[in-house]
Amino acid sequence: MVFIYGVNFLESRLVTGALTTFYGIGPSVCRTLMSKFHIHTTARVGDLGDRQINSLAEELSTMTLENDLRRQVVDNIKRLRDMGTYRGRRHAMGLPVRGQHTRTQIMTARKLNKIDRRG
Amino acid sequence: MSSSMCLRCLKRSLVPIESSLPLTAGQRAAFSTSPSLAANPPKKTAKPTKTNARQGKTLKLTKNKRAATTRPPATGERKALRKRVVLSNTNALDVPGLQDLTTDSVSGVKLRELQDKVAGLGNDTVDALRALEAFKPTQGWSLFRRPASLVRRETVELAELLQAIQDSNGHQVERRVVFGEKVGGKSVLLLQAMAMAYLKGWLVVHYPEAKDMTIAHTAYQPVTTADGKTIYIQPQYTAHLLGNIAKANRGLLSNMRLAGQHQLPVPLPPNCSLLRLVELGANDADLAWPVWQALWTELTTPSQPEQEGLQRPPLFVGMDGVDFIMRDSAYLDSEAQPVHAHELALVRDYADILSGKTSLPNGGLVLAATTGSNRPSAPTFHHYLNRNHAEAHLPTLVSLRDRLRAQAVDAHSASDLNFAELDSLLSTLPPSLADQLHTFRRRAMASQRSNASVAKFLAACDTFQPELPHWDPYLAIDQRVADVMGNVRVQKLQGLSKEEARGVMEYYAQSGMLRHTVTDGLVSEKWTLAGNGIIGELEKGAVRARF
Repeated sequence: MVFIYGVNFLESRLVTGALTTFYGIGPSVCRTLMSKFHIHTTARVGDLGDRQINSLAEELSTMTLENDLRRQVVDNIKRLRDMGTYRGRRHAMGLPVRGQHTRTQIMTARKLNKIDRRG
Repeated sequence: MSSSMCLRCLKRSLVPIESSLPLTAGQRAAFSTSPSLAANPPKKTAKPTKTNARQGKTLKLTKNKRAATTRPPATGERKALRKRVVLSNTNALDVPGLQDLTTDSVSGVKLRELQDKVAGLGNDTVDALRALEAFKPTQGWSLFRRPASLVRRETVELAELLQAIQDSNGHQVERRVVFGEKVGGKSVLLLQAMAMAYLKGWLVVHYPEAKDMTIAHTAYQPVTTADGKTIYIQPQYTAHLLGNIAKANRGLLSNMRLAGQHQLPVPLPPNCSLLRLVELGANDADLAWPVWQALWTELTTPSQPEQEGLQRPPLFVGMDGVDFIMRDSAYLDSEAQPVHAHELALVRDYADILSGKTSLPNGGLVLAATTGSNRPSAPTFHHYLNRNHAEAHLPTLVSLRDRLRAQAVDAHSASDLNFAELDSLLSTLPPSLADQLHTFRRRAMASQRSNASVAKFLAACDTFQPELPHWDPYLAIDQRVADVMGNVRVQKLQGLSKEEARGVMEYYAQSGMLRHTVTDGLVSEKWTLAGNGIIGELEKGAVRARF
């Protein structure tokens, strides 16, 4: 079991899979991270050297991830609402923000467009 | 007395219908709405509400869990099963009189006797080739009793080339790329060349799959060279290659000792044999790169035949799937930009040998085979394959034109000239030159038919300037690939001749895998269906087809 940024991963896990479990890291951020530390695309967590793991953890600590990022998103929405913008109002009502049709299928908006947005 | 209806029907018509009901129940009409009107309205039963598919919980698949009844395979077991190479089929017949390739028989003269016949491989050779990963799982080795391959015209030419290189005592290095259609026999030709080099006592180095180096499936590390450039080493893959080299060349390497001093992270024992050095790198990935560099320094030092352990035989360096190294690899540098394959250290070493930048003082053959079925896009490389192929045939075309011109100067009219050579040459030329020759031939035949003056034909000769294929100036050329391929000979592998096809089909029949009598008709049929003798298609049509 290898610790990366405080989370324990099985040695057989792919590094891409392990990194994308963090909120704030998707496929493209993962790719740039791995290329920075010369980790190949099909690397397993057990193959990483100590130096690579330490530098990865150091890099991750400089990025906004997890709760910091979630807080940032919620703050952004709150700011929009406090300013009285159209986008803020749409978030408050749980309706689509980006000009979609509301005649049908607004499931994602209902699920995600909230002031106290989680994830 | 006769009546209009039968007695039974008459009787039925007289008896009233209502008489089936008991008379005591009272005379009632058959249908009445009074009871239904008087009844209470029907009670509302609880209907099951239709649940909205988007609300509530989603589909549960917990009931459909697959129970694992068997032991799951170990790590790497499935991959090993996929990549295993089976070389023997005990159900196939042992072919009597199947001659093996031996050290004597691989000299060019002797091999000519085996041309158009199938030759087997001895056990030692098979072990060495297996260690080098020369056999591929997609090839048809598992259909026959023991490994054997057809001795083609190209095989005999290679044998003669190997003999010439050996006789030149280190002064000749041949660098060649073999290309052609898929399942055309390129990898097997490479295997035959390796087998012949091994039997002649050469050192054999082989990169079994160039794809493995460039698709970013192995670890890589940046290293700064002496002139400030960054190249990438691949420790695990280097260790793997060193392991293959050690296993295949065990006998030769154990008799060689180090000629010079090498800087390695671990101290080397004095009078260390080359085998010991290579095995050191094979067992430890951290040592692999320095050991690789040391090995190549050793192999490229001139041979000293008088000194014991310092003789260096000629070198055979082969690579399969060379298209993959003539483009960008899948690796990314620290700025997330693609790394060109030539920036990988292992690939750079091979590219230097192929282009002639690194010389082989002890002579040798550098052979690369392209891949047909798995071809990546490498436009510059494919352009150079076509260009170099055309360049090799250009002198014959130019000399033909000059000969016809010389004949025409002496002749009285165009109809005296003989254009039979044009037709025979047309079939052997690469497409780019064949098109140009075709145009010239048309003009020549036209002038012959119209009984034109010789001057007209001479004018046609003067305007016929065959050209090599041009690179499209609007496309970016890969200069690194252009530099490597500028000086490399190429060989196109075409289909078999009818005699060669007959030879291989007779082998199939003698093995019991082809259940027909091998007649000229059958050979022609299979040859034609195989796209004019492409050996892989021939094998598919003759042996693999399940009827």
